[in-house]
Amino acid sequence: MAADTAGGADERLAYRGPIQQLLTRPEIGALLGLAGVWLLFWLTSEAFGTAGGTANFLDVAALLGIMAVPVALLMIGGEFDLSSGAMTGATAIFVILMSREVGELGGAGFSLHLAVPLSLCFALAIGWFNGTLVERTSLPSFIVTLGTFFILIGAKLGFGKLFTNKVIVEGLDEAQGYEFWDDIFGAEWIRNQHIWDGRDWAWAGLLVLAGVALLLGLLEMSYTRRPDPPPWAAAGSFIGAVAVPLFGFVMLLTTDGTAANWLWGAVIAAGTLAGVSIWCSSRYERVHRRRTPPDSRTMRMIGIGVGAVVVAVVLALVMDATNSDQLGFLGGGLGRAIFAIGIAGTGVLAALAATGHVRSSAPVIGVVVALLPAISFMMTVQAARALLFGGLAVAGVVALMLVAARTGLSLWLPMATAAIVAVAAFVVQAESESRKLRVELFSVLLLIALALAATAAARALAQRRSTAVPVPQMGLWPRVAAAAGGAAAVVFAVIELIDGDGLLYALSTGVAKGGAIALGIFALGTFYRLLFSSDEGMGRPLVTVGLAAAGLALAVKLMFITTLEEEATQAVTRFRVSVLFYLLFAAIGAWVLAKTRFGSWTFAVGGNKDAARSVGVPAARTKTTLFMLVSVCAWVAGMLIAFRLNSVQANVGDGNEFRYIIVAVVGGNLLTGGYGSAIGAGIGALIWGMISQGIGFARWNTDWRFLVLGGLLVVAVIVNNYVRQRAERSQAARGDPDDDEPPGGDADAADESVSAGAEP
Amino acid sequence: MSDSLIELRNISKFYGNIIALTGVSTTVNPGEVTCVLGDNGAGKSTFIKILAGVHQHDEGELLLEGEEVKFSSPRAALAAGIATVYQDLAMVPLMSVWRNFFLGAEPTRGFGPFRQIDIEKAKQIAKEQLAEMGIDIRDTEQPVGTLSGGERQSVAIARASYFGARVLILDEPTSALGVKQSGVVLRRIVEARDRGLAVIFITHNPNHAYPVGDRFVILNRGHSMGNFAKEDISQAELTQMMAGGAELEALQHELATH
Repeated sequence: MAADTAGGADERLAYRGPIQQLLTRPEIGALLGLAGVWLLFWLTSEAFGTAGGTANFLDVAALLGIMAVPVALLMIGGEFDLSSGAMTGATAIFVILMSREVGELGGAGFSLHLAVPLSLCFALAIGWFNGTLVERTSLPSFIVTLGTFFILIGAKLGFGKLFTNKVIVEGLDEAQGYEFWDDIFGAEWIRNQHIWDGRDWAWAGLLVLAGVALLLGLLEMSYTRRPDPPPWAAAGSFIGAVAVPLFGFVMLLTTDGTAANWLWGAVIAAGTLAGVSIWCSSRYERVHRRRTPPDSRTMRMIGIGVGAVVVAVVLALVMDATNSDQLGFLGGGLGRAIFAIGIAGTGVLAALAATGHVRSSAPVIGVVVALLPAISFMMTVQAARALLFGGLAVAGVVALMLVAARTGLSLWLPMATAAIVAVAAFVVQAESESRKLRVELFSVLLLIALALAATAAARALAQRRSTAVPVPQMGLWPRVAAAAGGAAAVVFAVIELIDGDGLLYALSTGVAKGGAIALGIFALGTFYRLLFSSDEGMGRPLVTVGLAAAGLALAVKLMFITTLEEEATQAVTRFRVSVLFYLLFAAIGAWVLAKTRFGSWTFAVGGNKDAARSVGVPAARTKTTLFMLVSVCAWVAGMLIAFRLNSVQANVGDGNEFRYIIVAVVGGNLLTGGYGSAIGAGIGALIWGMISQGIGFARWNTDWRFLVLGGLLVVAVIVNNYVRQRAERSQAARGDPDDDEPPGGDADAADESVSAGAEP
Repeated sequence: MSDSLIELRNISKFYGNIIALTGVSTTVNPGEVTCVLGDNGAGKSTFIKILAGVHQHDEGELLLEGEEVKFSSPRAALAAGIATVYQDLAMVPLMSVWRNFFLGAEPTRGFGPFRQIDIEKAKQIAKEQLAEMGIDIRDTEQPVGTLSGGERQSVAIARASYFGARVLILDEPTSALGVKQSGVVLRRIVEARDRGLAVIFITHNPNHAYPVGDRFVILNRGHSMGNFAKEDISQAELTQMMAGGAELEALQHELATH
């Protein structure tokens, strides 16, 4: 097929598996950081993982993310906008002043139907001013927008006091047309009002669908297909891989007891393993591999790995999960002495390092020693327990998997790892007092063990892919799914509108229901083609189905409440409309960057502006548009702020511009432009939200909040940078060997990113 | 001469008080190679940047098919069918080969706000065009920064000859290349000419210019030293004129006496 080669498939290209492909994405570092941070706080705090906690950090992340996405785009385009933070507050104040009654001091007295569009024009004008000034003068955007920043700060305070004689501008809710606009910018989803007893079944079903689709997608992407798969095997393995675990899962949900957990856990495991084994041996080429006996180093690594997991489990059981006292193990004189020794050591080691007597990384030891007393005051017992458990368990499993990969992926080692994790899961659930450990940690550990075992079985049975995957031929299915989903979305939205629900509520429920229908049809089509056609390249559609199902499962779990839960809880959980804007903007940003001409031009003007202009990219227009994009998003953020409290303080948003930039850098965007991702910036915002809220949830000493935040951000940026460098190196290695100019100034970028992370 | 594709009449360009180019005239015809020769600082780059729309001329007339034009931007020149291979190749190293190939002229599908790049088509065309140039890129997704110098040059030339519907300008395409690679580039020039394109070839190497050129414009310190058809000038004369005639003779004399 002609289309097969169109994607650049070439027999000289070694096939990269799904994991390697993922590792070359700019946002991979942020993704790993997200998982780590979530895990840490989820283990530490009871409330963090609940819907209420999620709503809490999503709210912080959303307002940040709405701005971080366009700021990331602007950064990729090679510019900064320091006025972006102040602009959010400025549009909010502008709209209130425009809509206030004409009184003694008063405002302009416009209806909000005029004031809101007017404030958009105001924002656009600022963006245009920034962009045009940067382009016309060729001055660094840093200087130009610093000017705008101070102008806006001054204007906010000046006009605010001129009109209201106060530093707080209020009274938005008295304006004409308030209901209409509040419906858009002030809407909330109050979870407690949406009771749905079928939620858990929908959620569990979607989760199983996600698991099956993701597992099959990964297998499909990783292994070479046999030309003649026997048709019976597909059906048989499907029953094994879906029906038996589904049954076990359902039974597991309805029972709570050690014996039942053992039983149904074993049923799920047996079904999954049998299904994967039949599927792999019937569908993929068989593997022929000789086994190498483990050497002493391997055995040591295995020992370390198993030991780490065991210690993790013991610690989880021994340390008190509910103790929120400070650790305080280095109090009083001892702590002060250690602090002093650490500081002195850092200085001495730094001096020695500068003269070349010790390694240049030696002073870090001193810093760590100095930080110990700080950690002992900052951390609670439960936080330390979570940190130790999470860190040790992850390290143990990773060590075992690395050994498995190095010794030629033999079957028994990953299987043994899976068994260890499974045993840990059962021990934790049987011995623990805490419901969180008993149910949630148990499920997660079981899931990890299952995934490890399933992939190990597949590896032992099937031949790895050596050639690139062809472009999938999905035919009509995606279009049918999109059309049906779209039509359903419109119908549902109209029904809700007629019912008298708000515009935004109607739209979002319509989109959600339509999306679910589209997902269902697309999943059906994908599975149908997978089972009953000889098409290659079904991996990507399967992974798409899996991710969509997982997202929907999460949304269902977060948005609805069961009668039981409703009776048990007093707290009201609200999701603000800002979350919708945040998801929407991240999606649009990602699409624009990857798929549109404007996205290509953004990368080009950031990467090499003169070259871009020379080959016909309208560089000035592209950059000005980027500045205006930032200001439009600042307007949206401003409206959200204004309609949330109906009053705005003069200093709202000031200083946030640095947060946007840091969040974008954490998300994998290069400070020097030309490289990055909008999704990454969105993830960075989520990390910030989780950390800043999680510290409170975990009841750590919040006096240390910024220290933790700064430290974690530095770590995030370093990890991110390291991962990106590795990815680029592996990509460069695929290029010409006599390549004289590797992409990107890695060393410079590393320095810059780190210093930016340390700034706040 | 009225049927020339491009005609330049007394083109001048000033940067402040610096006279970069003054009173240059020539014609560019389809199916001909016009060579622009000159030493460093002779105004060659200014000359092509006016044609490519990067700079605008201050005096004189630029006629495209008999109509006076002034390209306001490289985009306008490209729209008129004039594509350029710049000396620095005008590539964005962090971007993929196919994105660089189509930069500024991406093929799109869809309509209105849903218009997006037709990525499959772009990759396919880029791969085909590069294969025609004799370089077989393994993966059009790989960043241009990972290509070798020669490969990058080929991508730039393939891009310009794909988009240069009528005029192909090459700015010192052989300056960084070895003997063999230079030969390949010269062959591309001849091929483009045979396809009926007007080729403008800028170089400071008369050995490269003479075999492929049909018309020679010699620049020296911003002045035109003349505009010759191939039959009116020999390679030796060309070399001598380029270096400013008398100076080279003086040098030869000086070297001979030592």
